[in-house]
Amino acid sequence: MKRLALVAVATLATACTRPEVLPRMPSAPLAESGHTALDTTPKQDRRLVPAEAYVRTYLQLFGGLAPLEVQRRARGGDGGSLFDTWDDYLSALGFPDYRLDLPRGTQTNALMMAAFERLGVALCDRAVEHDLKSRPPPFVKDRLVFAFEPPGGAVTAAAFAPGFDVLHRTFLGYPARLGPAGREAAFFELYQQTAARHAEKGAVKSRFTPSESGWAAVCYGLVRHPEFHLY
Amino acid sequence: MSPLARRPSRRTFLHAAAGGAAAALASSPLTRALADTPAAETEFFVFIHASGGWDVTLWADPRNEKRGIVDPATTDNTDVAPLHRWVDAPHDGDVKSFALVRPTGSNIAFGPGIGNLADMYDRLTVINGLSMNTVSHPDGTAFSATGRHLNGSRVPGSSVDTILASELGKTALFPAVSVQFPSTYAGEPGLDRRAVPLVVGQIGTISRSLVRAGQYDTDADRDAVTTLLSHEAQTLASRSTYTDVLQGVSVQYEGLRRMLGSNLQDVFTADRLRKDHPEFDYKARFAGNAAVNAAFVVEALKRDVVRCVGFSMGGFDTHNANYRFQAHVQQDLFELVAALVQKLDRTPHPSLSSAKLSDHTHILVVSDFCRTPQINMAGGRDHYPNNSALVISPRFRGNLVYGKSDVEQVLPARAGRFVDGERAVAPPDLLATFVSAFGVPPRRYMRDGEIVKELLRA
Repeated sequence: MKRLALVAVATLATACTRPEVLPRMPSAPLAESGHTALDTTPKQDRRLVPAEAYVRTYLQLFGGLAPLEVQRRARGGDGGSLFDTWDDYLSALGFPDYRLDLPRGTQTNALMMAAFERLGVALCDRAVEHDLKSRPPPFVKDRLVFAFEPPGGAVTAAAFAPGFDVLHRTFLGYPARLGPAGREAAFFELYQQTAARHAEKGAVKSRFTPSESGWAAVCYGLVRHPEFHLY
Repeated sequence: MSPLARRPSRRTFLHAAAGGAAAALASSPLTRALADTPAAETEFFVFIHASGGWDVTLWADPRNEKRGIVDPATTDNTDVAPLHRWVDAPHDGDVKSFALVRPTGSNIAFGPGIGNLADMYDRLTVINGLSMNTVSHPDGTAFSATGRHLNGSRVPGSSVDTILASELGKTALFPAVSVQFPSTYAGEPGLDRRAVPLVVGQIGTISRSLVRAGQYDTDADRDAVTTLLSHEAQTLASRSTYTDVLQGVSVQYEGLRRMLGSNLQDVFTADRLRKDHPEFDYKARFAGNAAVNAAFVVEALKRDVVRCVGFSMGGFDTHNANYRFQAHVQQDLFELVAALVQKLDRTPHPSLSSAKLSDHTHILVVSDFCRTPQINMAGGRDHYPNNSALVISPRFRGNLVYGKSDVEQVLPARAGRFVDGERAVAPPDLLATFVSAFGVPPRRYMRDGEIVKELLRA
């Protein structure tokens, strides 16, 4: 019994000793043996974003909805023919089809560009309807794509810039000012020309106002941009 | 040798001078520019893949006797009623095999699966005993279309349609359209990105991707966006270390503009194709969908918008009792090919006056591999590393069989002498010969394969 008590006391004493403290820094700095420049150059050409990532992003931009719900909303009930069904686009987008043994498309082609345009136009047109045409308009935080108040009247380059920056960040993931020189000006010109075309007397009838058509065109340009599809 | 003998003669000097002048001319910018516009740009190509692996003993390499391990097709294992060319031949009592199909004048003996295509024997080039060295569907498919085996799951080479589209079709609206044909683009140096095949599950995909709504924006709006994006891609390419992909994207934006400007979306729908080309059998049991693809071939070639069209037809993978229909599937395929050729015979060439489309259309029909000579316990045939292929081309010798398989095992036998000695012919040889027939040096894109001159017309 006495021996047992001794063992218990010894165990307790061992357990209560201070924990070993490891120094936060190495005891001595590592000796420098030389300098090597970090090679940050790209090692391969750009690649196509996988089709799944494209569709996931597309659904997210549409409000984070399920694919069939996006299909329903994109088709709409207005006979707009903006969208058919997902099945109609999957192979053109590069999805593999294991029923038919179709491999994944890893390279862009002209038909894929056509599918990107078809889907991009559907997204932007429905977003204009939701964000800019709804009455009363939704709060900026509740908008799908156009999370800014579009400038009224004659739009100047300065008035165009904040809205473009929002769209640029949404689709390409970084501020417009970091893009190549001339990009913002090119998109502003696209906006102006599109709005002017729709404002002309005898222009093709559209469900959008000239300003809305201009913003829709900017949206098409960014959702179909090479930087949106390649990485 | 005397010093006199070493002096160049006048003839030698003139030869050397002429050679030098020719070399200088060949390297001039004008000649290079002319060389960039090959004369073969008036040619069209159709590639057909019999997906699943066909039984060559029923058409190209017919076997109607029990010999070695060969179990021939008989009335016991084959549904012969729908076969137009099945004629009973003695086999074993009441069980009959088939008589070989050999039209008068034909050097080729066919099996009954050939159907009415046999009547075009003088235009057919049959390659037998193709050494496949694989019994895997993906590998056999890739090997037949590219001449390369898979590297893991990756296809290491571009397919024959991509090569020809790049060499001869980059200015076409659609350089290569592939409806489930195993087309691949592997990015070999010199291959143009415009030739990346448009791979779709069905023809309707093309029209549905091209249709545009008109209530919101106009063609001019979308065209302006596409022009801007093409410019953006060029700008990005000019800032990049690797420019190939971005420049390719820029070119494809331009291709999109041309596609949308041609108003093809209404023409390339299955319904419209069926209506415009009633000569194809859309109710064929196994080739109904493929008939739509054949109609697309005719329409696309007639409009001169496609250089290469590839399509696939399934139903050949008959491991079980479905082997009863193998000959019927083959007959549907080959009779579709016959109908296609007949239609091309009646269709004028879009750019060459007084020429028929069939004079400038070249058809290659391949499969994954062939099927076992013996019938398995389930009443079917499994995968086998032999194969056959069919070429219908004015550049190829018709009424010809090249290559053979051994009598008792239907394995590839030596077909001729190649650089690496006597051996069986293989898909790379066939593909190299095919592209060379149009002035494309095979070695530019293909690692393997040798030109088989015996297949080509002089």
